Amino acid sequence: MSETTPIIHVVDDDEAMRDSMTWLLEGEGYKVVCFDSAESFLKARHDQMRGCLVLDVRMPEMSGLELHEKLEFLGSQLPIIFVTGHGDVPMAVSALQRGACDFIEKPFNNEDLLTRIRRALELDAELSARRQRDGAISHRLDQLTQREREVMQLVVAGKLNKQVADELNISMKTVEAHRARVMEKMGVRTLAELVKAVMTVN
Amino acid sequence: MAERLPTAKNLSVLMRSLSAQPRQTWLWLAPYVAIGVFALAMLVVTGLLQWRELDTAKSALEGDMHWAERTIENRLQAHQDFLGELGRDQEFKQLTYESFQVRAGRYVREAPEIIAIVWVDIDGKVEWVAPNESTVTFVGDQLAGPRLAALQEALRIRRTVVSPDYRDATLGPMHDIIFPVQRGRADIGAFIAIQSLETMLRATLPTAFTARYSLTVVDAQDREVFSNSSVKPTDRQLSGAINLDLPNNRLGLNIVAYRGGGVWLTFLPAALIIILTVIATITLIQLRRHAQHRAETEEKLRAAYAFRQAMSQSMITGLRAIDLEGRITFVNAAFCRMTGFNESELIGIKPPYSYWPPEEFERLQYNIDTALAGKAPAAGFEMRIMRKSGERFDVRLYFSPLIDTNGLQIGWMASMNDITEPKRVRVELERAHERFETVIDGLDSAVHVADVHSGEILFANRAFQNIFGFDSVGRDTALVTAACRPTHGWLHPDPAALTTDELPCELFDGEIQHTLSGHWYHLHERAIRWVDGRTVRVQIAADITDRKHIDEVNLQQQKRLEQTSRLITMGEMASSLAHELNQPLSAIANYCAGCVKRMQAGNYKIDDLLAAMQKASDQAERAGKIIRRMRDMVKKGDPNRQPIALEELVDEARAFADIEAQRTGTQIVVDLPEHLPKIVVDRIMIEQVLLNLIKNGIEAMSDVPFERRQLTVQARRVDDRMLEIAVADLGHGLAEEDMEKIFAPFYTTKAEGMGIGLAICRSIIEFHQGRLWATPRREGGTVFHFTVPLEESTEDSDE
Repeated sequence: MSETTPIIHVVDDDEAMRDSMTWLLEGEGYKVVCFDSAESFLKARHDQMRGCLVLDVRMPEMSGLELHEKLEFLGSQLPIIFVTGHGDVPMAVSALQRGACDFIEKPFNNEDLLTRIRRALELDAELSARRQRDGAISHRLDQLTQREREVMQLVVAGKLNKQVADELNISMKTVEAHRARVMEKMGVRTLAELVKAVMTVN
Repeated sequence: MAERLPTAKNLSVLMRSLSAQPRQTWLWLAPYVAIGVFALAMLVVTGLLQWRELDTAKSALEGDMHWAERTIENRLQAHQDFLGELGRDQEFKQLTYESFQVRAGRYVREAPEIIAIVWVDIDGKVEWVAPNESTVTFVGDQLAGPRLAALQEALRIRRTVVSPDYRDATLGPMHDIIFPVQRGRADIGAFIAIQSLETMLRATLPTAFTARYSLTVVDAQDREVFSNSSVKPTDRQLSGAINLDLPNNRLGLNIVAYRGGGVWLTFLPAALIIILTVIATITLIQLRRHAQHRAETEEKLRAAYAFRQAMSQSMITGLRAIDLEGRITFVNAAFCRMTGFNESELIGIKPPYSYWPPEEFERLQYNIDTALAGKAPAAGFEMRIMRKSGERFDVRLYFSPLIDTNGLQIGWMASMNDITEPKRVRVELERAHERFETVIDGLDSAVHVADVHSGEILFANRAFQNIFGFDSVGRDTALVTAACRPTHGWLHPDPAALTTDELPCELFDGEIQHTLSGHWYHLHERAIRWVDGRTVRVQIAADITDRKHIDEVNLQQQKRLEQTSRLITMGEMASSLAHELNQPLSAIANYCAGCVKRMQAGNYKIDDLLAAMQKASDQAERAGKIIRRMRDMVKKGDPNRQPIALEELVDEARAFADIEAQRTGTQIVVDLPEHLPKIVVDRIMIEQVLLNLIKNGIEAMSDVPFERRQLTVQARRVDDRMLEIAVADLGHGLAEEDMEKIFAPFYTTKAEGMGIGLAICRSIIEFHQGRLWATPRREGGTVFHFTVPLEESTEDSDE
C-alpha cells in the first residue's frame, strides 16, 4: 500500500480565492491542489486520495453540497471543510448534520481556517490508518478455513474449548489444534488480542 | 333413402364409353344393316315359301286333273257301253219298248248326268224316249240342225258320235251321245243319250274338287259352254286343261284352282316385312336421336358433374352431406384435409363423429340436433373440432337442406370453414382494439372525431363522454361541444372546404375555457381523412385547468416577485452585496495572512511577497467596483413616474387578482368615473399597491357567504391635483385600534402574513406624495383609500 502525502484540495470557482488560498496554505507548508469546479475535482478524484477538501458552497453548476452528496455516494472518506458566504449558514448546518467535517464562514480568520485544516488532516490520518489495519486483519481472516472460522467465532464469544468441541461435535484435541492455527494465522499471541482484532473488523 | 352420388369409379366408365367415337358410329350402323339383311332374308324366304306352295298346288292340280279326266272318261265309256248294249239288243230285235223303258229308265236314274235316252230313226225322228217323264224331248220330235248332222254323221261312219254342245233353256248345256244301230247292212236308227254337262261335272267330280277349282267346260271351238263358278279366275298360274276327245266332239275342261284370299294375299308378307322394316328403321332413327340427345345431356351432365367435382375437391371449404339421421353421405377433399380422416373413414358414420373432441361432445351434439331439426342459424355454428392427430381447431359450419331431384329433402349439406386463423386474427384485432380503447379511454384528454360537414360525432373516448355526455356519439358536435369550441373564425382553414390533398391539416391549436364548467382546455384540432375516406375533425382537448391555475399563480407570483423585488429587497440587496464583497475580502485576507506568515517565519522571497501584495490590492479594487455597481443599481431603482390612465392600471391589477377572485367566488366591481385625467405614478409600484389591497380584500371576505363576496374599486377626484382611489370589501372588518396599526411594519392580522405589505404600500404612496388609510364600512367590511397625483395639464409632466 503506497503512502500518499496529504494534499489540501481547494474547490472554488473564484480564481482570486483559489490563488490566495494557495498562497496562504503553501505559506504554512501544505501541499495544495486547486480545482475550478466540482466536476473537475470529481474527474481527478481517486480512492487513495489523502488530505482534505476545502469546498466553496456557492458555485455555478454543481454546488458544494451536491458534490458532498456525490462523494458520500462514492464512499469517499475525505474530510470536507465547507466555505460559506453570508446567508448560507442553514445550508451548512444541514451539511454538517449529514456528516461533513467542518465549515467556516466567509470572510474567515486565517487561524480558524488553519485550525480546521489541521483537524481535518488528523482525522484523515486516523481514517487512513484504520483502513490499513482493517485491510490487514481482513486479509488474515480470509486465510482461515471454514472450520477454523467457526472455532474462532465460538472462542471469541467466550466459549471454553470443551464447549466448542461439543457444539461443533469434534474432539477437544482438534479444537486445540484449530485454535492454535487460528492464533498463528491471525498473528496474535493472546485471546485478548484475537478478540480485539476481530472486533476491529466487525 | 339418399341417392348415392356417383363415385369416381363409375364416372371413369362413363368417360371411357363416351370417348370411343368411331366405334360408336359402327355401333349405330349395325342395326340398320341387320334390319336390311333381315328384311331381305324374310322376303326371300317368303318368296321361296310361296314358290313351293305354288309347286305343291300345281302337282295337286295335276293329280286332280288326271283323276277327273279318267273319271269322266270312264263315265263316258260306261254310257257308250250301255248304249252299245241297247244297240245290240235292238239289232237282234230282242229289245222291246218296254224293256227299253225299264233298262234305260234304270240307267238314267243311276247316271244323273244322262237326262234321257232316246231312240231315233235314221231321219232323226224320235220313236222311243226313256224315261217317260222326261221333258227334254218327246216321241215324235224331229232332230234338227247340228244334232241331225251329228246323227247322220254317226249313221254314216257307223260309230258313236257326240253331237256338238247345245243349250237347253232349262237344263243348260248338253250334248247327245249318238250310237248308230244297224241291222245287217241297213241302218235302222240310233240310240241317243242326252247328257247334261253341268250334271255330268257335278255327278262325276266330288264336291271337294269342285269347291277347290273353278271348272270351265269349253267346246271344240274353245267357246265356253259352262262354268261352275261365276268368279273369273285371273291367275292362270294354277290352271290346267283336260281335253276329252269325244267322237266327233271334244270336251275341254279348264281347271283353275281357287286362291284363298285373293291375289293381294301373296304380297301381304312382303308388304308386312317392308312396313315392319320401315317402322323398325324409323324407330331406330328416333332411338338414335334420343340416344344422341341423351348423350349430349350426359355430356353436359358429366361436364357439370366434373365441374362440380373439381369445385368440391379443389375448394378450400370443407363440404359434408348428411342424411336426415345425421349419417355422413358425402365429404369433399377439403373436409378430409381439414379433419385428417380419409373419405372411407367418414362416410356412413353417425354422430358422435370421430372428429369431435371429447370435451365438446355436449355442445356439438346440441348443434347437430339443432341443425337436423332445421333450426341451424344462418350465421352458422362456430365450433371447435379435432383433427385425427388430436389437434383442435376452430371452424364455422353452415347448414343448408339437401334436396333431391324430386324436391324431397334427403339430408343436410354443411360447409365448413377453418376459422382458426381468422379467429386468431379477430381475437388479435379485438385485443388490439381493446388496447386501443384502453389507451384512448385511459387518456385524460377528451378525444373525439366529428364529420366536418354534418358535424356528427363519429367517435368519442371516455374522457370526452365524461365531459360532454355519454350519449354524445352520433350527435352534432356543434351542439355537444357548444360550451367549449373555437369560434368559427379561429379555425385556420374552413374544414369543410378542404380537399383530400390538403389532409391532414391543422385546424386549431389553442386554449379555451369551457363556458359552463369554467375548466380550461388545450384544444388541438386537426382535419384528417377518416377510415371511410371522408374528412373529419379530430379534436383532442386536454384539461389544463390545474396547470393553467398553477401557471397563473406562478406567473402572478413571478410577476409579483419581479415587481416587488425592487421595493422590498433592500435587505436582500445588502445580503447580496455582502456575498459579492466576501470574495475579494477573503482573498485579500488570505494574501495578507500568507505574507504575514512568511515574514514571521523569515522564509520568503521578496518577489513572491510583492506579487501577493499586488494581487491583494487588485482584489481591493475589485471590491470597490462591486460597491460602485451596487450604487448604480440602487439609483436606477428610483420610481419611474409617468402619466398613465387609471383604467389601464386597474385592469392590469385586476387581471392578476382575477384568478384569486374566481377561486374564492368573489366578484370584483370596478366603478370608475369617465374622463379621468391621467395619474402620474410609477406604474409598477401603484399596481402593486392596488393588487395588494384587492387581495387583502378578497382574503378578508373568505369567511363571509358567497353572495356577500363583492369587492368594489372606485375612484374620486379630490381636487385638481389628487385622485382618491378606494378599495372596499364586505369582509370581517377591522377593530378600531387596528385601523392604524395595520400599517406598521411586521404587524399582521393574517395567519401567514409577513406584516410588511401595507407598510410598504404606505411608503410607496407616501413616496408619491399621497396618503393611504383605512376606514370601516357601514354595511361591514373595510375601505382602503389612497391618493395619487393627477397629471397637471399646464405643467410639464417631466418633474
